[in-house]
Amino acid sequence: MRTLHDDPDLRFTLLADICGVDTGRKMQVVYHLWSATSPDWLRVIADDLPRDDPRVPSVTFLWKGAEWGEREAYDMFGIIFEGNRDLRRIYMPPDYKSFPLRKDFLLPDDAARSPGMGVRHMEQTAPPADAPDEVLLRRSQLD
Amino acid sequence: MAADPTRVRSLDDPTVIVDTPATIYDAVPPYPPQTEREAEFYTLRDGEMLINLGPQHPSTHGVLRVVLKIDGERVVDLDPVLGYLHRGVEKICENCDWHMAISNCDPLEYIASMFSEALPVLAAEKLLELKVPRRAEYIRVLAWELNRISSHALFMGWLALDLGGLTPILYGFIERDEIVEMLASLTGQRLLFNYLRIGGVNGDLNHDFLSRLGDWMSRAAHRIEDSQTLINENEIFVKRVRGLGTIDRATALRMCLTGPPLRATGIPYDVRRAHPYSVYPELEFGIPTRTEGDSYARYLLHLDEIRQSIHIIDQVLHQMPDGPVMAKLPRLLRIPPGRAFAALESPRGQYAVYAMSDGSDQPFRFRIHDPSYFNLQTVGLLMPGNLIADTMAIMASLDPIMGGVDK
Amino acid sequence: MSVLARPWSRLTLAGKIVLPLLLLLLLLTIVLVAGVATGIIPFLLGWLIQLAVDNIGIVRFIVAATAVLLFTVPTAFVIIYMEMKFIALMNLRLGPNRVGPWGLLQSAIHGFKVLAKEDYTPTGADVAVFTLAPIVTYLSSVLAFLVLPFAPGLIGMDMNIGLLYFFAMGGLTVLGLLMAGWSSFNKYSLLGGLRAAAQIISYEIPLTLAVVGVIILAGTMSLNQIVLNQSGLTSGPPILRSLTFLDWYVWQQPLAFLIFFIAATAEGNRAPFDLTEADSEIVAGFATEYSGMRFGFFFFAEYVNVFILSALTVVLFLGGWTAPIDLGLLLSQFGIGVDPTIDPSRLGHLLLFGVLIVPPLAILLLTLPIWMLRSDWSFLKSLVVGFILFNVLAGALVGLWLTLSFEVVLGLIWFLAKTYFFVFVFVWMRGTLPRVRVDQLMGFAWKWLLPAALLNLFVTAAAVVVVEQLR
Repeated sequence: MRTLHDDPDLRFTLLADICGVDTGRKMQVVYHLWSATSPDWLRVIADDLPRDDPRVPSVTFLWKGAEWGEREAYDMFGIIFEGNRDLRRIYMPPDYKSFPLRKDFLLPDDAARSPGMGVRHMEQTAPPADAPDEVLLRRSQLD
Repeated sequence: MAADPTRVRSLDDPTVIVDTPATIYDAVPPYPPQTEREAEFYTLRDGEMLINLGPQHPSTHGVLRVVLKIDGERVVDLDPVLGYLHRGVEKICENCDWHMAISNCDPLEYIASMFSEALPVLAAEKLLELKVPRRAEYIRVLAWELNRISSHALFMGWLALDLGGLTPILYGFIERDEIVEMLASLTGQRLLFNYLRIGGVNGDLNHDFLSRLGDWMSRAAHRIEDSQTLINENEIFVKRVRGLGTIDRATALRMCLTGPPLRATGIPYDVRRAHPYSVYPELEFGIPTRTEGDSYARYLLHLDEIRQSIHIIDQVLHQMPDGPVMAKLPRLLRIPPGRAFAALESPRGQYAVYAMSDGSDQPFRFRIHDPSYFNLQTVGLLMPGNLIADTMAIMASLDPIMGGVDK
Repeated sequence: MSVLARPWSRLTLAGKIVLPLLLLLLLLTIVLVAGVATGIIPFLLGWLIQLAVDNIGIVRFIVAATAVLLFTVPTAFVIIYMEMKFIALMNLRLGPNRVGPWGLLQSAIHGFKVLAKEDYTPTGADVAVFTLAPIVTYLSSVLAFLVLPFAPGLIGMDMNIGLLYFFAMGGLTVLGLLMAGWSSFNKYSLLGGLRAAAQIISYEIPLTLAVVGVIILAGTMSLNQIVLNQSGLTSGPPILRSLTFLDWYVWQQPLAFLIFFIAATAEGNRAPFDLTEADSEIVAGFATEYSGMRFGFFFFAEYVNVFILSALTVVLFLGGWTAPIDLGLLLSQFGIGVDPTIDPSRLGHLLLFGVLIVPPLAILLLTLPIWMLRSDWSFLKSLVVGFILFNVLAGALVGLWLTLSFEVVLGLIWFLAKTYFFVFVFVWMRGTLPRVRVDQLMGFAWKWLLPAALLNLFVTAAAVVVVEQLR
């Protein structure tokens, strides 16, 4: 990343986007960079992150503006960015327990509850017992 | 359990009484700090106070909560808390098909919603490698530039409103009302247009729209200049806004700023020129930039952009070709697997989408990159050291829209 | 009483109001007739009048205080309506136009609304101070009314330290705002209250210093005397003497006038210095936690403050109740003598004619053209319209007679006209100018207005000494 930023031929000084992707089998972090020297965006994919403990070094040392992008990726996927000084949830309430944009996110069973105990009757508490794994987890065909 | 009034039994229980003792509602979160930045922020030194510029506030441009650490009247640090308008649009778009994603993405930038509608449209067209008819492209550019003008007119109004002037926002609303009525005769809706379609636009231009457009164009430039004499030369306004929230070029790039705040620092990055889409290569327009990088420069830049947009609309009207306005598409749209990154220039900055398709009729991952979200991080840099009264001015000059920030 | 419950419950709401009123009226008539017949009431009345005449000073004061209190509320209503309507027109929108013709009753409805809201005290607030704060703020504005000369002879209390008393009352406002800011248990209120206090205190100094020049020129602090000193040049050709506006202090103290007006804008928390109620920054400042009539008091206090500051500007610099041109003197130079006094007691039979015959004839005269020209109106409707028109005309004529024959009315009209002009300028500034930041505001007061006021003071004093020497 630093090479892409600093190299005088490449000079990818503008970070256009940073996001996380859950492909069903593994996690990815995707960066899009732009440089005055290249005609199109450069897509950098940090691929093959394990789904249970995805860790990626943070790019906040280069672009401070990536801090919130990384916070969002953490909030939505659970990807930990090492080196980000402020990795807490940004959209969900701070005591929320699961990560919404993951493919295995089911609304009621693992979300944090307020101090009351009941669950709302219209939400299912658990997937049906005979559902095969593939139904629940949509996988990408791209990898 | 039955008689304990301090315990909430369940949120669905109709007899629940939430009766906590009257506590001091302070801005400090009730759990220990989770990150080192949080710890640094929430420890107060002598004389400092945490104050909540809460979600319900007359001028936070939507529901944004900013926890300010102030020392007397000066802001020492701040912590924006987002999520009050989070609707989970990305997750929703994963569960609906590409056409439904257009209406779902509309309210992201509710003031100029043609831009947010364009996200699924441009992404799908890139994935399908679809050729959109030229007339449709020109109509899209027309709609985009009209939206840009209405958004900028509103911006100038509410920057003045946040500073206390009651009049300019109503002048801004005159422009906006006329444009919105025009677009209503074209699309059927005043605010969330739902007009762009994958492969073109929903309907052709009609006579009512064109006559209103002609009327408006004949008055627009002059009226905008007119309504600006109230503000630009106003000593009080200029004194409040000049030199406030200055960003230099290196900081702007580091903070991933895009849009008018970036161009006000002198970097001429405009997606319409840097990575042209639609028919922008054929249109002639300039990219206004300013070098000071303060709020006044951002404000004047919006004015310049309005003039450029009027120029573009002029050219579009002259060069509008004939033809169909919608490409032929199957009703059930299955997009081949692939990844696409499409970006466009909205009034706030670079609006981008990173879409992954897995061959079915629903997007697999629909990531929306919103400029307001990244631009809003800059307030953390700009506000400390200024007075509380300036916080609103700084935030207004960066032009955030909470619909986009919170997705 | 239960035997009355059934018929009482069958009355409509209007009936429930009118019937007790009628019964009360009947009772009152019986009591009056009995009293007059037996001579008790005339005796009591005579005793009361003797008591009043013996203590005329106290009675006068009570009447003046009551009049002042009663006058402030309609004044506030009028200014509120002016503000809403004029700012709306400046914003190219319409403003209130539903409640009454041109929305004139809007202020009254605001008054009722404010009374009808829930009145609560926030938890943790200091109840005594919280309750007293709006009262203190309102009273400090109202008490300043007592020394304003509305017309020759129409002044609450002609103190010879009137100006000092006025500024003392202005200082009480600070107390009220601080009380409000502190006692609401809210950080925003505290910030707002502190800002307000700092602002008002800083601007009181240029305000008073600017006025000292006028005191030097007039030689007295009594507001009535200051107005009398501006009622026309005492020597010179009659043409010049009839142009009484040349004697106003605004020509002799222009810098003081400017400083005073700007400082008055800041004193009254008006735009562009209205950061205490900057609703885009600290919601409503010190009044965040106030609702209902308590907020109504703050609201009224602000508009009464606007009125008294404009009134003071007019009194000190623009001649108070003196007309700009003394028409009588001017016209007499050109040989036109105007003697408009009509003494009703000398009219004799003409009075009978005027009272009994002229009104019906005039009404008919006004009705017939309307009835004939408007074909869709019935005769009754045009009669009503004719009656209203007659009332308006008669009122105008009576007003004209009053103006020409009593000096008080003319003075009052001029005073109110000039004051409302300045109120309009305040409203105009609010609709046009954005807000000044708090540090810019303080800097402006201490670095620019204060030295300017001191400069004005020295120059005035020097000029007076020089003129005395030359004489």
